[in-house]
Amino acid sequence: MDTPEALSRAEELLKPFAQTSSRPTPERLDVMVLPSALVATVRALISGGWGYLIAITGVDRPGELAPTPEDKQWARLARDEEEVSASKGPEGSIEILYHFGHKAAVVTLRTSVRYSFPVINSICDVIPSATLYERELIEMFGVKVVGTPSKERLLLPDDWPAGVFPLRKTFKGLEESEAPVKEG
Amino acid sequence: MDLLPNQNKFIIPIGPQHPALKEPGHFEFTVDGEVVTGASVRLGYVHRGIEKGVEQRNWIQDIYLLERICGICSHTHSTVYVLGVEKLAGITVPPRAQAIRTLFLELERVHSHLLWLGVAAHEGGFDTLFMYSWRDRETVMDILESLSGNRVNYSANSLGGVKFDVDDERADQIRRGIDFLEERSHHYLKVVTTDETFLGRTRKIGLMTLQQSMELDATGPTARASGLERDIRVDAPYAAYPDFPVRMITAQNGDLEGRFIVRINELFESYRLIREIVDHLPPGELMAKVPRRIPAGEVFSRVEAPRGELFYYIKSNGSDKPERIKIRTPSLCNWASVVNLAVGYNLADMPMILAGMDPCFSCNDRSVSIRRAGDTQTWSWEQLRQYGIEYYR
Repeated sequence: MDTPEALSRAEELLKPFAQTSSRPTPERLDVMVLPSALVATVRALISGGWGYLIAITGVDRPGELAPTPEDKQWARLARDEEEVSASKGPEGSIEILYHFGHKAAVVTLRTSVRYSFPVINSICDVIPSATLYERELIEMFGVKVVGTPSKERLLLPDDWPAGVFPLRKTFKGLEESEAPVKEG
Repeated sequence: MDLLPNQNKFIIPIGPQHPALKEPGHFEFTVDGEVVTGASVRLGYVHRGIEKGVEQRNWIQDIYLLERICGICSHTHSTVYVLGVEKLAGITVPPRAQAIRTLFLELERVHSHLLWLGVAAHEGGFDTLFMYSWRDRETVMDILESLSGNRVNYSANSLGGVKFDVDDERADQIRRGIDFLEERSHHYLKVVTTDETFLGRTRKIGLMTLQQSMELDATGPTARASGLERDIRVDAPYAAYPDFPVRMITAQNGDLEGRFIVRINELFESYRLIREIVDHLPPGELMAKVPRRIPAGEVFSRVEAPRGELFYYIKSNGSDKPERIKIRTPSLCNWASVVNLAVGYNLADMPMILAGMDPCFSCNDRSVSIRRAGDTQTWSWEQLRQYGIEYYR
């Protein structure tokens, strides 16, 4: 399967779930999916035998989007699972990208969650090795990943303050009072 | 006296500081007698916040910062970054520059694999092999130093090309060094495949089937030792690899022995490639003209690092600084394989199994805390710079 063929195959597999899709470069296929459809989309791709998960990227987008009816619906579903903390500041979103590779071809599933309901379902049932990326997403962006096998600290120090997410654009460094106690 | 029920677990914590590993990582092995029944990992002891750091520096400064993610595959990190940014800006890099980049990449792979051979042999209790392979590794370190002036962090890359040329004298030095290393590598291959004592530590240990390697998303030599044909140099050639193709090296063993075989055979492939590049170095410029602004957009960049696939996601907002750079290092995704592979083997095999994937902690942990005698403080970039200037005055 060469690159164009691989991408056509992926397009076919993802069609039922795709909101929009585009090919920014000849070796890339970007597909927008709703957070609620994410797991089913990943399952379709993997059970179709297409490629492997390269990485999960979080991108902070402060104050970019207005809420849609779908967002509100998803937020209601999510609230059953866990109380979601509302963040301060203007309403922005975290874009979450799931990169899959098949030789030279790269498929990216793009989804977005709002600051007020930063909730996404875990894909670890489909891809067990995604746990490390999901834990990174939890620590760095404050995304709640429902159903992920482990939420223990992976990268940040044990005494890192709760609710401070270093890769959000609003994070400019820790205040003295928040900073972990330094060794003398 | 009641016997303890079986479900009582005995957990052995190892690390972050431990004699078996030279880098900090914390592991918890659940054991039943000598046999490991479960394993977990905690990383982040050398997390430096580099992904945040790059957002506060400009496109040029980031080359230097990213190159310092790893002291072993430093050139790999700067290459994946400049290739991505060049794609974003639409820069066509001269063929000679791409060839020299690739030459550095392969020389780096040689030094990394030889370093690994030593470390893995040391974990196996075979210190003679460790000392010999590290002695020989100095050959490639000397080559790298004479090309760039540095043993590590060569700073060979710039946006649009490379800073160092390879003249005839350097080329001869490379040829001589590679001849010597090739001869030595034949000897090492023989040792790791025939030495009875050593095979006792590697054969059928840390077995990973092809199926498992796919399920666990293993990458690099760790995956190729299980027969998984994945190598970005072959699958999606970059830099000068389209002109200087490499052969995929795999093994079917799936055990630690296979990981030795794959890496040593990759050394031979690297030697061949290095000679070919030095003999057929395209003439021309070393640097292309680079636009003053990097346009907005996003790009993926992938290269085959010595440890496996290195993936960068680079997003530009059109300013002088990147909006976001995501770094997925090969060591991170290989952890899943190690934690799963450990189950069923003896505790004594753990250092070897861990070393078998060639873990690089600074790769997957990426804050700057400077320690001087007596006080610890966090320094700003400017203070750090000033300190460096004063120190070397």
